[in-house]
Parts: sequence; structure tokens; C-alpha cells
Amino acid sequence: MGINVAVTGLHAADNPAPGIGVLRSLRYPNGWDGELIGLAYDTYDTGIYDRHLMNHAYLIPYPNQGKEQVFERIRAIHKAVGIDVLIPTLDSELQLYQQLESELKGLGIAMYLPSADTIQKRAKSKLLEFCKANDIETPKTIVINDPRQFGDALDEIGFPLYVKGVFYDAYACYTRDEALKQFEKLRLQWGLPALIQEAINGEEFDICAMGDDEGNLLGSIPMRKLRLTDKGKAWSAITLNNPRLTEFSKKTMKALSWRGPCELEILQESKSRKLYLLEINPRFPAWIFLGAGANQNLPKLAVELALGKRPEPLPPVSSGITFVRHATDLICPLEYIENLTINGELHFEKQKM
Amino acid sequence: MYEFKNELTMSKSGFLFDHSSGQTYTLNPTGKLIFEKMQEGLDDEAILSTLIEEFEVEAHIARRDLEDFIRQLKEMGVI
Repeated sequence: MGINVAVTGLHAADNPAPGIGVLRSLRYPNGWDGELIGLAYDTYDTGIYDRHLMNHAYLIPYPNQGKEQVFERIRAIHKAVGIDVLIPTLDSELQLYQQLESELKGLGIAMYLPSADTIQKRAKSKLLEFCKANDIETPKTIVINDPRQFGDALDEIGFPLYVKGVFYDAYACYTRDEALKQFEKLRLQWGLPALIQEAINGEEFDICAMGDDEGNLLGSIPMRKLRLTDKGKAWSAITLNNPRLTEFSKKTMKALSWRGPCELEILQESKSRKLYLLEINPRFPAWIFLGAGANQNLPKLAVELALGKRPEPLPPVSSGITFVRHATDLICPLEYIENLTINGELHFEKQKM
Repeated sequence: MYEFKNELTMSKSGFLFDHSSGQTYTLNPTGKLIFEKMQEGLDDEAILSTLIEEFEVEAHIARRDLEDFIRQLKEMGVI
């Protein structure tokens, strides 16, 4: 009897959500012995139209509609198809699923998530504090809670610098005018706090890592982005075998006792080659499928961990494996849109996933 | 003898991959031969002899090419 896995985050347009990569990883290389269920928020979330990716697609309420509504919908889906493991892949869902963890467990739905406390420690506004306490380098950062702090923060950090939102967006600024413009833009869009961060000249690396209950590194995919979209998202990257990056990830994960998947953004300073922690994203990245081709299938590991197994750490990553993201068009019958619009669900013909 | 800072792999065509940084380089036949000899552990004088013999060039040209190549490898942080 196979394991049924439900995955969220299925909209893959110009800024792809990670769910597609997670589903593809589960099916790699020889299919998935169980049913794969896509959980989407909108009829036009692109991934739910890919009949080769999942057996069933269901629309669910947005997290801001409240945990009761989300729970009821998942309970109904579980009753219909049976979910063994649920993998939420979006930042905006994490808090909700942490709150629902025990209720879902009660239904027999397992997850493998970092704790709320860990998530807090790595928040952009707290990262400097965490890094200082654990002897991890990170660029100097000032958290702006009041617009009156802004001018002093610019003086203290000096140019060039980054103006960053507390959840999304980062802008490189070279003048006060530029910094003010971006700060106002962020403030209007996301509110405060915002961050002013030192810009360090160097090369950026990303690592997707999986930690166990004690924050031990069970697998990791270090990569360097080869090509970026205008939003700074990778559309091509290459895997690395870099012992310094791996050691840095191990130290960071251990210090946080990180449980579950995350993406570490790391900068290597050009002259000193010193490594700086830029951010930790508490989820799989959109490029997670790269790992499946590089001996590091972390979504499969996540399923095992969620089911209470204690897998051995994966063998080292294969370096030099590249991904290139390629947009394609899916052709679908009208019934797909009809079923999603009327019933909020879509079932594909039985096939081996 | 040269010590390489990172793990490097070169294909038959002279395409060089740095496993640590993800950087790739395309070497011309001269660079490819120098790199192969460096990996074999030859010193500068032995590499020069190989270059002169293989490409039938004068010693000062081979030395210039070798020095230029070594400078580029240092700039790239490879050695």
C-alpha cells in the first residue's frame, strides 16, 4: 500500500512556488507508489492542470481565512482520498500548519516542520541576534520600526546597502534618494519593520538542507545560480561539492536545531572568502527538483521523516548537475476548469505517478 | 608543483569545472596541456619543455604563455 502525499504551492508562473518541484522529486525516477494530491488556492494555479504530476487536485481556502476553514477542507479531502503526509511549501502557510499540526496528526496526517520557536529565531529581523550568539557571520543589519530611525541607519551602515522588506523583496541602493524611494515603497506595500543591510561584495550560494529532530544535517544541495530572472529568481543553477558551505550549513542547522527543510542563502566575500549567512527560508525552494538529479532527493526524505522513520544521512551530493527552467504550455479540456470552478477539485485518470 | 585550492575536473575537450564554486572555464590546447601537466605534478621547467616540444615554439613564447596562464589561474583563485 503506497503513501498518499498532499503538497501545496502549485502556482508556477514568473515566481514559481516550490510544490511542483516537490511533486516531481517524489515521482523521480520511477514514479510514486501512492497517490499524489495537489492543494491549490486558485482555479488558475498552474500546476493543477498537469495531469502527469498528481492524481487529484483540490482547492483549499487561503490561510488568512482561518485555521478552522482550512482544517475542515483538509478533513473533507482526507475523507475522500486519504492523506498520509502533507507538505506545505509556502512561507505564508507555515504558521497555520504549525497550529494545525496536532489536529492533523489526530486525523492521521503527518508533517515534518520546523518549530515555531526556530522559525522566529531565523526571522530576518532576528537573524543578526541569532548569528551573533552563535558565532556565525552575517551582514550588519538595522531593523527599522519607526521611519525616524531611517536616516541614522543609512549613516551607520553606509553605501552601498540593501533596503529589505521583513518578508519579501530586497533592493540594492547606492544613494540616499534611492534608499528613501525603496524604503517608502516597501513601507506602503508591507508595512514596517523594514531592514537596512550592509552590502558585501561577493558571490552568493544557496543550499537546500534537511535537518532531523536535533538539527543534524541529513542531506543538502549546495548550488550556485547561473542565470536569474528580473526578480532575482534562479532559472538555471549548478550543484557544488563545497566542504566549507556544507560545514557552514551544518553549524547553522545545529545552532537552530532545525527540523525539516530550509533554504540557506550564503554569501562568500570576494577578498577574505569569509562566508556570511544572508537568510534562511523555512521551506523547500522552487528549484528543489535539482536535488533529485544530484543524489539528494530531500522531499522523499521529508516523507520518511514525517512518517516517523529515522533515515541515515544521504551520501554526498553529485556536483556539476545543472537545471534550466523551461516554460511550457499545458493543453487542457474545458472540463478541467469546470470541475475546479464548480466542485473545487479535479481527478485525473488512474495512472502510475 | 602547484596545489589546487578546489576540486577541479577537466574534460577531454578542455572544459574545466570547479566543484566548489560552480565556475566553468574553457581552456585552449595550450591551457589544457599546461593544466594536465600541473595535475601530473610537473614543475615549471618540465611544463615548459613539454610546451616547446608539443607546439614547436620558441622558449620565450612558451614561457610567456605559461606565466600568463598561471597568472590567470591565480586571479581566478584556482591555485
